[in-house]
Amino acid sequence: MAVELKTIQHLCELSKLDYDEEGMKKVMGEMSDIIDLMDEIKDFDLTYDDTKDGNEIRFGDTREDVSEESFPTDKLLSNAENTEGCYVVPKVVE
Amino acid sequence: MDLIRTNLRELRKSLDSKEISAAELCGEYFKRIEAVDPELLSYITVTKEKALKDAENAQKLIDEGKATALTGIPLAIKDNICIDGVRTTCASKMLENFIPPYNATVIEKLNAEGYVLLGRTSMDEFAMGGSNQTSAFAKTKNPYDLECVPGGSSGGSAAAVSASLAPAALGSDTGGSIRQPSSFCGVTGIKPTYGRVSRYGLVAFASSLDQIGPICNDARDCAVLLNAICGHDRHDATSARVDTPDFTEKLGQPIKGMKIALPKEFFAEGVDDAVKTAVMSAAHELEKQGAVLVECSMPGLKYAIPAYYLIACAEAASNLSRFDGIKYGFRGEGRTFEELIRDSRSRGFGEEVKRRILLGNYALSSGYYDAYYKKALALKQEIIRQYNQIFEQADVILTPTAPTPAYKIGSQDSDPVKMYQADICTVTVNIAKLPGVSTTCGYTDSGLPVGMSIIGKRFDEQTILQCADAFEQGFSPVAPKL
Repeated sequence: MAVELKTIQHLCELSKLDYDEEGMKKVMGEMSDIIDLMDEIKDFDLTYDDTKDGNEIRFGDTREDVSEESFPTDKLLSNAENTEGCYVVPKVVE
Repeated sequence: MDLIRTNLRELRKSLDSKEISAAELCGEYFKRIEAVDPELLSYITVTKEKALKDAENAQKLIDEGKATALTGIPLAIKDNICIDGVRTTCASKMLENFIPPYNATVIEKLNAEGYVLLGRTSMDEFAMGGSNQTSAFAKTKNPYDLECVPGGSSGGSAAAVSASLAPAALGSDTGGSIRQPSSFCGVTGIKPTYGRVSRYGLVAFASSLDQIGPICNDARDCAVLLNAICGHDRHDATSARVDTPDFTEKLGQPIKGMKIALPKEFFAEGVDDAVKTAVMSAAHELEKQGAVLVECSMPGLKYAIPAYYLIACAEAASNLSRFDGIKYGFRGEGRTFEELIRDSRSRGFGEEVKRRILLGNYALSSGYYDAYYKKALALKQEIIRQYNQIFEQADVILTPTAPTPAYKIGSQDSDPVKMYQADICTVTVNIAKLPGVSTTCGYTDSGLPVGMSIIGKRFDEQTILQCADAFEQGFSPVAPKL
């Protein structure tokens, strides 16, 4: 099944990704083949039963809600390229 | 000291008897890395300076008689496991300069043992691939044939151990990323049960499938390394509160009466004859030792690839949304917030990573969620049910680790569908959260290793290691000529 250009454009919006014209053409072809492979699952005739899924995370096991020492701010900011004691981003609100 | 395929127990003895010091030992490995790795490309970062400091600290413990199993032992760590102050790239331009501000739990545990870090091994970008050819920095080759891939995504770790550039390494496995490269590179690798090892500090690909595990020269070393890294961790809500046995305990015990299931679908069309022959021959070797072979079926395998890729990519799309170029990682350009994020992601991620993010968002998007993602979850339940059914009549399951031996570099890169289908033998183990170990069971006519996987019940790593070890004791591995 060929995936339509508008579907790929929508996925790029959701994924925050851009392609140039050539890249878009290439990824459309690849995604069509990949989705054909994924479509095989439609032949499988069973429905998901969420009551059967083991809830393995027991929230009773979580730690007490007490404050603990956390990472120092400068260490957390050390991997950001643009900082002034905080993360710097382009102006969001006019 | 001869480092070729020297196991951890031998190194322990040499260190404890003072035949060699911890600093001399890591120095020997660095000499070999300098000689061999410019061609093999198994490491992204070599941490010589840190290693010498680690070795000095380890030597003090050894001299004081306080050494444990891994004190002074040099190890390589896959480049997606965070180490405080050591660059961790995930083989991606996105994290080219990322220096983690904390240690993964497995690293804390290894530090407590006094291990020595040799360096960070290459991998497929963000662990997405089975060839190591999506790495942005070091496209690792296979030590048995430099024109072939080492497998992936933990291809750097497997190649480093195979070529004796590290005695053991850590990898991570989301759909076969420890077992398949172990098979291609002729070493032994175990994916523990989901929850056995903490994922805290492992850069997330698919959180319900990812698991850290050892890649070593043999099952005995895997048991030693697994002992060191397993256990519940309060930083990882999915790590299991279960007993942590000594994984070396059952090694060497006879496997007489052990029931080994052979699901026929794993030996069907698409699996190379050389692979089938080697795995079946290994099965008969185990039978000679008293194991009982049981024929069985797993019809759900037919849908395993789409189920796996839908679940894994849906989780990846969500996990990788954190890479925005602002807090860490590659920062692009843009006049607006939106432009900045899109440019950072578009230029920071490689093509395979972007394809998987698109597929994940496709599976999760309105109108497709029920048809794809929920269907994949239904299949996951069915695969678990079918495994449970097999384990009613068997102790372990034996399958090929990959449908083919290592293939030529460049022969599959342009066809993502072919690349995904090659994961058929490994992905169900992750979907069902089971433990699986891959060990070498033969070689092709051209000398490439063939691996077999032994799959166990949840949290029964002891039995699969016992079975792998029983085979290895009667098998003569051939080291690559590098």
